[in-house]
Amino acid sequence: MPNLLEIHNLSVEYKTRLGIARAVDNVSITLDENKTLGLAGESGCGKSTLGRAIIRLVPYPGRILEGEILLNLDEDVPYENGVVEKGQINLLQLDDDQMRALRGKKLAYIFQDPMTSLNPMERIGKHFVEIIKAHEPDTPKEDAQVRTKDLLEALDILPERVLDYPHQFSGGMRQRVMIGLGLTLTPQLLIADEPTTSLDVIVEAQILNLISDLKDKFNLTMMLITHNLGVLAETADSIAIMYTGRIMEIAPTEALFESPQHPYTQALLQSVPDVRKPDRKLSWIPGSPPSLTEPIPGCMFRPRCPHAMEICEMEPPPLIKSASGGIVACYLYEGS
Amino acid sequence: MGKSITISGVFIYLRLVQEPFRDRSKLWWIVLGVILGGTIALVASLIILAARSSSGLGIPVVVGTILFGVSMLVVGLFRTLLIRQGTFSPRIGTLFLVGITCLLGVITIPVSIFILPAGWFDLWTVFVMGGVAIGIILLFLYSRYSWLKERGSPGLLTITGFLMVLAIIYMTVISYWIVPYDPADINVGPILWPPHPGFPLGTTSLGQDLLSRTIAGGGIMLQVAFLSVLICFFVGVPLGLLSSFRGGTLDRVLSLIMDAIFAFPGLILAIAIAAMLGPGVINMALAIAVVYIPSYFRVLRSQVLTIKELPYVEAAKALGARDRDTMLGYVLPNALPSIIVVMSINFADAVLTAAGLTFVGLGLPIDVADWGWDLTFGWHQLITGAWWVITFPGIMIVLLALGFTLVGEGLNEILTPMLKE
Repeated sequence: MPNLLEIHNLSVEYKTRLGIARAVDNVSITLDENKTLGLAGESGCGKSTLGRAIIRLVPYPGRILEGEILLNLDEDVPYENGVVEKGQINLLQLDDDQMRALRGKKLAYIFQDPMTSLNPMERIGKHFVEIIKAHEPDTPKEDAQVRTKDLLEALDILPERVLDYPHQFSGGMRQRVMIGLGLTLTPQLLIADEPTTSLDVIVEAQILNLISDLKDKFNLTMMLITHNLGVLAETADSIAIMYTGRIMEIAPTEALFESPQHPYTQALLQSVPDVRKPDRKLSWIPGSPPSLTEPIPGCMFRPRCPHAMEICEMEPPPLIKSASGGIVACYLYEGS
Repeated sequence: MGKSITISGVFIYLRLVQEPFRDRSKLWWIVLGVILGGTIALVASLIILAARSSSGLGIPVVVGTILFGVSMLVVGLFRTLLIRQGTFSPRIGTLFLVGITCLLGVITIPVSIFILPAGWFDLWTVFVMGGVAIGIILLFLYSRYSWLKERGSPGLLTITGFLMVLAIIYMTVISYWIVPYDPADINVGPILWPPHPGFPLGTTSLGQDLLSRTIAGGGIMLQVAFLSVLICFFVGVPLGLLSSFRGGTLDRVLSLIMDAIFAFPGLILAIAIAAMLGPGVINMALAIAVVYIPSYFRVLRSQVLTIKELPYVEAAKALGARDRDTMLGYVLPNALPSIIVVMSINFADAVLTAAGLTFVGLGLPIDVADWGWDLTFGWHQLITGAWWVITFPGIMIVLLALGFTLVGEGLNEILTPMLKE
């Protein structure tokens, strides 16, 4: 049984005025069914672009350069001119119609800003009916409405509120609606792009609880994109750390927090406050990431790395098995 | 409305919103009084006019149309009741209303034949059209007043605007049967007399009765305004939507063409086109439409360019929406409020441009009663102190334009759910 999602050597480029920026550089990830992968890194490291690349909606002027995104479909998905057959398929080889049929049906994407992610001119219920109608045109409207109400109930929203407009909902409720929209057709893979960033901590906790509940209920596989490591500690099974478009380290959540391998991961964790060690001074990472339009040879983290060696300037370190049970891209562990 | 009140969320919202209005209810009653009083005064003056009309059929026409309107109101109430009882779905209810209206129209045929065998078709048309106008006014006042009132001042603006426009439409439709003199006839009275009992609004320099001309003069103008707005809307909106949604070469070419049209001063371009096409209602409407299509295009294009980048459009795409779903379900409804504003301005402007075209002599032949013509002639007479010739047609144009503007302004705020509160 292949993995639900396998990404091999994916690269995404943005053509900008200043040159070509490689936002995702040769990334390979695998994701098992019913697992949550956390994707963390600082702003502009390519985590959102990676998420967008999976649903093939990289915003202009970006384009997917090369690679494979293999999704293991659990059933045939019909579209206008035929059927996307079940089994492992390469998303990058599908045409637009086939891809559209998969979006929302098998792949769901939740955006960062719940305040503007719903159509202000449409009632909440219509959003749900629309997505059901778009993918299952034969569903009677009444059935769709019943399903909507059930879903809203599962999200702790009064079913009567289907007649309300988005502006009558709070931010947390809107994000719950967005999650509900994503889950309407019980997708296989849910990509959540910083789903709690614009919410306060209490609502954030609610949403995260909800997500983990729903994950069990709907047998979801999730990719959680965030820059908040605390969020990942709670929800993710494993965490991938990205920097300048490259994967620096992937490890099971506990292992990553207990024994971070990559110098960048270590530095990141030292910049997060820890309630168990109130006396520890927070540190930061000196310098800033190199410009993606003028990439430096070798390891991109070298200028900020306390352990920089000569070999780091030669070429990017490959991902190797690490002591903590994951993989890491650093020459420090080459020998071991 | 009955349905949504049972829903707790909306119910709370209604209760909350109604509180502050209760304090101001005095104002609302005053406005309602003004509207109703105005309507009654209008109907009364129509009946007085009808009594002394030149056609001799004024009273039957006015009474007939009002009866028609009242029966439409009764049917409308019946429909609401049936829908509330669950006998009819709303769609069937609307069909029912339209059907009964058509039936009423058919029933009036023998009536008009017996009253006036010679011109029965004209009379019948006037019965039906005038009756529908009155019916819409009554239904509107009855079933929409409370609904629009909750929206506050925008709702009131819309009511006022609609009533003004509909009243003018009604007056224009039945004008032929209620005018005291034939508006096109010259020398029905003394030349260029100021208002006095025999001719309440005075006479023109050709000895025409100005009252008759003021009542009858809106027909052409209304037709031109409606036609041009329709043409503008159904050409400008799809073009703007398609061009900005697709982008690329199509967008460049269309933008260039629209900018080229925009570069001309509106009235002058309209005059040039009207001169090319020749006089006539449809040609005038076309000339005005060509002038206003670019403003629809421009406004819609800029709106769509903003809206199509918004997260909710992208979210819809990420959930598998087709291009046409996002275009028609997400982008267009959100851009529509600004189009409705353009529409109301266009309406008002079309009325004025039509007057302008007639003013320079490109509109209509001389014997047609038209406010624009009276402005043209009145303008020359103003020097001699004959103020009345341009004042009354001018006021009618202003009222019509004001009515359209109020409707547009009010609708804009009502149709945007966010602005409701």
